[in-house]
Amino acid sequence: MATRGIERTILDDAARHESFLQYRRYRWLKIAALVSLLLVVAYLMIDVQPRHNGGSWLGYALGTLGALLILWLAMLGIRKRAITRGRWSLKAWTSAHVYLGLALIVIATLHTGFQFGWNVHTLAYGLMMLVILSGAYGISVYAVLPQGLSDSRSEMTGPQMIEAVNNLDKQIQGAAQPLSDADSAIVLESLGEDPFGGGAWRRLSGRYPSCANRAALRAMRSRLGEATGKQAAALEQVVTLLERKAAALQRVRGYVQRRALLEIWLYVHVPLTFVLIAALISHIVSVFFYW
Amino acid sequence: MAFLLRNISYSADGRQIVRSSRIRDDLLKIGRDPDCDIRLNDLAVALHHASLEQVSPTRVGVSAEAGLTVDIDGSTTQFGQIDVTIGGTVRVGPFQLRLLPQEMGSEDIAIDIERADTGAAEEKFDSSRFALAAVMPGKRPIAWALVLVVLGLFLVWPIWSFYSQERGKAEYAQAFHADRLWLSGSLSRGHAALANNCRACHVQPFVSVRDESCAACHTQVHDHADLARLQRARPNLGGWDRFQLAVQQTFGLDAGRCVDCHTEHEGPQQIPATPQQFCSDCHSDLDARLADTRLGDASDFEDLHPEFQPSVLIRWDGEQPRVQRVSLAQRPREMSNLKFPHALHLNATGGVAQMARRLSAAYGFGQQLECADCHVPTPDGVRFQPPDMEGDCGMCHSLAFEQIDGTIRTLRHGEPRQVVADIRSFYRAGLRQRPDVLGTPRSRPGDVNQIRLAVQQARARSAVGARADQSVRAVFSRGGACFDCHQVVPAPPGTLAYGIRPVAFPVRYMLHGWFDHRPHQAAQRPGQPRIEGSQACASCHRADASSDSADLLIPNVASCRDCHGGETTGLPVESSCAMCHDYHMDEGVPARLLRQQVRGRRWTTTVIPVQPQQAPRAR
Repeated sequence: MATRGIERTILDDAARHESFLQYRRYRWLKIAALVSLLLVVAYLMIDVQPRHNGGSWLGYALGTLGALLILWLAMLGIRKRAITRGRWSLKAWTSAHVYLGLALIVIATLHTGFQFGWNVHTLAYGLMMLVILSGAYGISVYAVLPQGLSDSRSEMTGPQMIEAVNNLDKQIQGAAQPLSDADSAIVLESLGEDPFGGGAWRRLSGRYPSCANRAALRAMRSRLGEATGKQAAALEQVVTLLERKAAALQRVRGYVQRRALLEIWLYVHVPLTFVLIAALISHIVSVFFYW
Repeated sequence: MAFLLRNISYSADGRQIVRSSRIRDDLLKIGRDPDCDIRLNDLAVALHHASLEQVSPTRVGVSAEAGLTVDIDGSTTQFGQIDVTIGGTVRVGPFQLRLLPQEMGSEDIAIDIERADTGAAEEKFDSSRFALAAVMPGKRPIAWALVLVVLGLFLVWPIWSFYSQERGKAEYAQAFHADRLWLSGSLSRGHAALANNCRACHVQPFVSVRDESCAACHTQVHDHADLARLQRARPNLGGWDRFQLAVQQTFGLDAGRCVDCHTEHEGPQQIPATPQQFCSDCHSDLDARLADTRLGDASDFEDLHPEFQPSVLIRWDGEQPRVQRVSLAQRPREMSNLKFPHALHLNATGGVAQMARRLSAAYGFGQQLECADCHVPTPDGVRFQPPDMEGDCGMCHSLAFEQIDGTIRTLRHGEPRQVVADIRSFYRAGLRQRPDVLGTPRSRPGDVNQIRLAVQQARARSAVGARADQSVRAVFSRGGACFDCHQVVPAPPGTLAYGIRPVAFPVRYMLHGWFDHRPHQAAQRPGQPRIEGSQACASCHRADASSDSADLLIPNVASCRDCHGGETTGLPVESSCAMCHDYHMDEGVPARLLRQQVRGRRWTTTVIPVQPQQAPRAR
């Protein structure tokens, strides 16, 4: 019976979803908060003359702790490639990464003694803060954006969204055949347009000011007011289709924007981690070089 | 002549569908318009885009409408020809028109019409294009590039600049060097000029800053004490302190270096005041570790501080004044060789006050003599100059003895033999008219009246020839002008070779402590009104109660403690050790006060013996 009870417990444990943030009832949050609190108290209690700085015994202790912590935090990049379970599961590791990474703000700031300047030391500190803040950003967008990500796709897959645009292109192609050469050239711009057009900034901002489809829609609408008869009927159809394409494009671009917002932090977090380590090496070497 | 058109398209499952038609004409119109012979339903094709025309039995001409182009066998052009025996390809928009080689004996020209790009775009679609990675440079290239930039700028460049600099050149300190990027914080104000000159202090890489670097500029700094005694005097370290020391030594930070206390790169500040703990660690129980020390224990001025031991002129070896540190507790006497009753001179009602009022117009005296009437501060105001006969005493104590045509002759102060000679000369000239200066109702001490009185007495007792000798003796004896103030050395029997003992005053009594009179010119003891001038002086120096110049009027510790407490105190003035004492035993102003105040000239004179031949005075 006892055995069965244990099995059930394990089963329950496994069945209940627990994010890396909540791992073991916020175990690492508590540890990190406690460490930070102790260090702040130590900082306030210990009298360093003439003022707190990285060169006091407390400063060196905090600096050593911070540097080792940075290296360990960076190890997540290696560790994450091996998914394991248990006390040192990847989830536990990630949880510790997040909360100890936040505690690093306290450790490193106390290490500086609030002395900043235009030098390699503050450079290392600034890079570290960028890495930590980008990580915090990453966690917050992971918490908020994925829901909107599936909403924005209206239950469609990526290729389906593109297919929808392509289908509309074909329909516009057909409907626009009676149009004059000048008009068809404008509509053609829309057809030839890459839905993903634009670089990282376009994607992040979600603004496509030179969108050819929008330009075509605007032009065809104004043309609709002047046209008569068969032309008008064709134009009306084209305008309707262009409007539908605009919606389809908006769906693609909204999704692309959310993905970009979700992924951009890694382009700060990961490369700057290595830059930070380089700055850290320079920082440490400089201190001992001019000992 | 006819064109055989074959429209080729594909069903969803890839089956080819061919629709054929035959047009008997020499000219084919190509375009989107329904009127065209070859209708190409694509917006990339104009309504009337181009035309095909047989120009000779073997050649077909292709011509695009004005402003449009076609693609003939791979080259874009507006007009071209195709040899029908060979065939060719015309591309209009997305469509390919393939003219097949004419079969032998046939007049028909066969043209296959097909969309070239059917489904191509859709098949090529790549889901990864949704990811941001599609438009971003890789993370690795970003990381590598920035890592190299940071290492190059902040590690390699500064190290290169360190090895490429030549030390000791003046212009060197002016220019920027890359090792400045390592500056961990602004230097203190005194060292601000070294900001570009890291190597001034950081001489060797990976070796901590040595005292020699400091001594290169600070040549005048004294050590606190003998290094061996200093080490012995250090308090017994606890486990944590010993551990810290051990770690520091492991990393090459030897204890006792200048920079241990004078930490740098702490911002553009002045060096902060040394906390009292720094001193009391050793000095609170120094005798426990240095049994032979002559220094009393001190921890906090309010609680534990030995009685002051001023340097007092205790005796004379011949002409040489001997100064020795004596605790005020032993009530030392000062042997200045001058007779001067302070109380008499400061009395508000006596003859001195009366004379002060009479001479107030000439010398600016008030209703009575004040301290400042005779005591002149040193130029920095910290101490006082020794009193001077001519300037200070001479305002009242005149040495005049004769007036010739309005010029007053005086006995020469500091030259006893000249005095003897002058008096003898006076009498050798024979009987004289009674000088005018005689006859005032009350004579000034030491004035010519006294001399005249002595002369008259002598005249009455002896012959005129002996009058001069009598006068000389009178001047140097009790009641005489010299005797009033000075220790007179009696003349050997049968001579008139009187002497005067030399006079000396210590200008500085506290050689190991600092006292500045300026902030004390006005005093306010707790619970008492604010006082200034002579009252302020007398509140510490009880001159008004002293009738003997041997009284040492230096106030004791208890007197200072009326206002001065310890480092933290309820008394008006918080006084840590550094207020009066300097770690480096400099005789001048303690560094702390120097930094607080404007840097003035240091007044380091300790004792100025007043020589019989001269009386130095530097106002």
